[in-house]
Amino acid sequence: MARVGIPHTLAYFLYYPFWKTFFEALGHQVVVSSPTTREILDLGVEETVNDACIPIKIYHGHVASLIDKVDYMFCPRLVSVRLHGDFGSETFCPKFLGLPDLIRLTFTKAPPIIDTRIDLKKGKKELESICVEVGSRLGNSSQESQAACKKARQVHRQYLALLRQGTMPPEAMEILLNGAKPASREFPPDGLSIAVVGYPYAIYDPYINVGLLNMLAREKIKIYTQDMLSDKILNREARELPKSMFWYFSNRAVYGGLYYMKKANIDGIIHVTAFACGPDAMVDRLLEIEARRHNKPYLSISIDEHTGESGVRTRIEAFVDMLRYRRDKA
Amino acid sequence: MKGFLGVDVGSVSTNIVVINENGEVLAEKYLRTNGRPIEVVQEGIHEVGRELNGEVEIASAGTTGSARFLASMIIGADVVKNEITAHAVAASAVVPGVRTIIEIGGQDSKIIILRDGVVTDFAMNTVCAAGTGSFLDQQASRLLIPIEEFGNYALKSKNPVRIAGRCAVFAESDMIHKQQLGYNIEDIIAGLCEALVRNYMNNVGKGKEILEPVIFQGGVAANAGLVQAFNKYLNTKVTVPPHFAVMGAIGAALLAKEAYAKKKGTNFKGFNLRDIKFVTNSFECKGCSNACEVVQFFQNGELLARWGDRCGKWELQTA
Repeated sequence: MARVGIPHTLAYFLYYPFWKTFFEALGHQVVVSSPTTREILDLGVEETVNDACIPIKIYHGHVASLIDKVDYMFCPRLVSVRLHGDFGSETFCPKFLGLPDLIRLTFTKAPPIIDTRIDLKKGKKELESICVEVGSRLGNSSQESQAACKKARQVHRQYLALLRQGTMPPEAMEILLNGAKPASREFPPDGLSIAVVGYPYAIYDPYINVGLLNMLAREKIKIYTQDMLSDKILNREARELPKSMFWYFSNRAVYGGLYYMKKANIDGIIHVTAFACGPDAMVDRLLEIEARRHNKPYLSISIDEHTGESGVRTRIEAFVDMLRYRRDKA
Repeated sequence: MKGFLGVDVGSVSTNIVVINENGEVLAEKYLRTNGRPIEVVQEGIHEVGRELNGEVEIASAGTTGSARFLASMIIGADVVKNEITAHAVAASAVVPGVRTIIEIGGQDSKIIILRDGVVTDFAMNTVCAAGTGSFLDQQASRLLIPIEEFGNYALKSKNPVRIAGRCAVFAESDMIHKQQLGYNIEDIIAGLCEALVRNYMNNVGKGKEILEPVIFQGGVAANAGLVQAFNKYLNTKVTVPPHFAVMGAIGAALLAKEAYAKKKGTNFKGFNLRDIKFVTNSFECKGCSNACEVVQFFQNGELLARWGDRCGKWELQTA
């Protein structure tokens, strides 16, 4: 039995249930880092090359916090997770592609890194081959890995189904992995609905976005994110664009934003963007232009390691005021 | 007579106004915060009370600005509102039909777009403070020009020089470079004003649909050079309202008036705030590795409120 470390950021918010199930089915122990804290952020800022973006620095912080607690660090090379459809040259941000190398060179004392390349575009059997490779590094047979992969896929499907029902990732994981009861939430019938789009590691990490979703929830606002939409819906939006961008997570944010802009029941769109994110320079502008075209109120919230709660709070309060006044006027 | 109090505590200035039921300004104070918001609010409220000479009874009070929560605890506010909404409310009352608000304060700048009296879009500067009041203050004192005179120098310029306004650090070195080459001070200051307007339009104003009437408010609107530079850049005449420096406070007062119409009664502690002892202290919470710095607020030795924690465990409910 080995202890496998999974950092609580980046792809965690969408794929943790899959990998947790997989490793545990193989008889290993999964150690996940705590949600981002100031200590993790400080560790990351200290360790990472200077010009990396804040999400990459945070990832380094999570790895640093796991180093002494695990036998293996799970840090796959994410290339593509598209199972079907023609997405040409779409991949992940270059910093994701180089992440295992960054980690290896930054943490010379790190335990062995499981840096398996994940490129599902290669074909239907690819995920299974990946699982077999990961399993073999931990001393598991092909048969064991194939069975674990099958089980993990089932859990992943259930997880996606929960997200599609409007559950936020942390709660969906609690329900699925720990048997928690879904919390019941009451929304006033005339309450506001806001779509929050952006990278999962920006919108679901309350430390780095200074509790943005909570601020909205406290106002009894119904929150939607791109991860509550099926691939089918997102891909339909993709076809309406003359061209997609190169990055998977960016495209999801864009398609989700475009979808919600056309919905009459959505009062406004908030895009959470990481300061110094290259792809976001385009994502944010595209969403802003499209929001104006659809006459949908749009707010861009930029986050970085110095983000103070007051700046975000002021903007959120003003945005919510604006939406309420619009409502009253209509 | 009934009055409504508005307090706007910003990074650089603390503004206090009292308006009557018609929205007319009865008293107005523009004070420097000087890093001591509590004392400045206490002093300011006391002075306003003295000026009003017991003829006005505060029916409701509102606070805004970056220290709006702190200020609300000090004065006993009925409304606490963000500065964007407060500025929009004030501008709409002063210039009905306003469609663009340019607001430049001590450390932040914002643009607010209104259509048919409703805010439809806004933006605030993020991490960069280039082009805000603090930077102008700093440049004025470097050139030994009183800040009140700074803008008038720009008006005397015939040929503004081109200054890089993207960043305060580069703007300053560019100004020094131009001064060492022998350009005169009026042209350099006028150039700086134009650079700041360019920076504002490219940053905060990026992609915004700017339609007339345009209002320019906030402390920096006192600078005639910037007013001229905005007129030139936008090819229109921007309006600087009479109480431009205290518009946030006016907005807070108007919101207090609105709240009063719905619910009578006020939490306002009175003009004699000077006699109450307010103390704050802070500690680092050891509950988790976030190590939040929690602020505690005491009134005459009694703990009234805590804030600054992310999880809410130190939150204190007061009546």
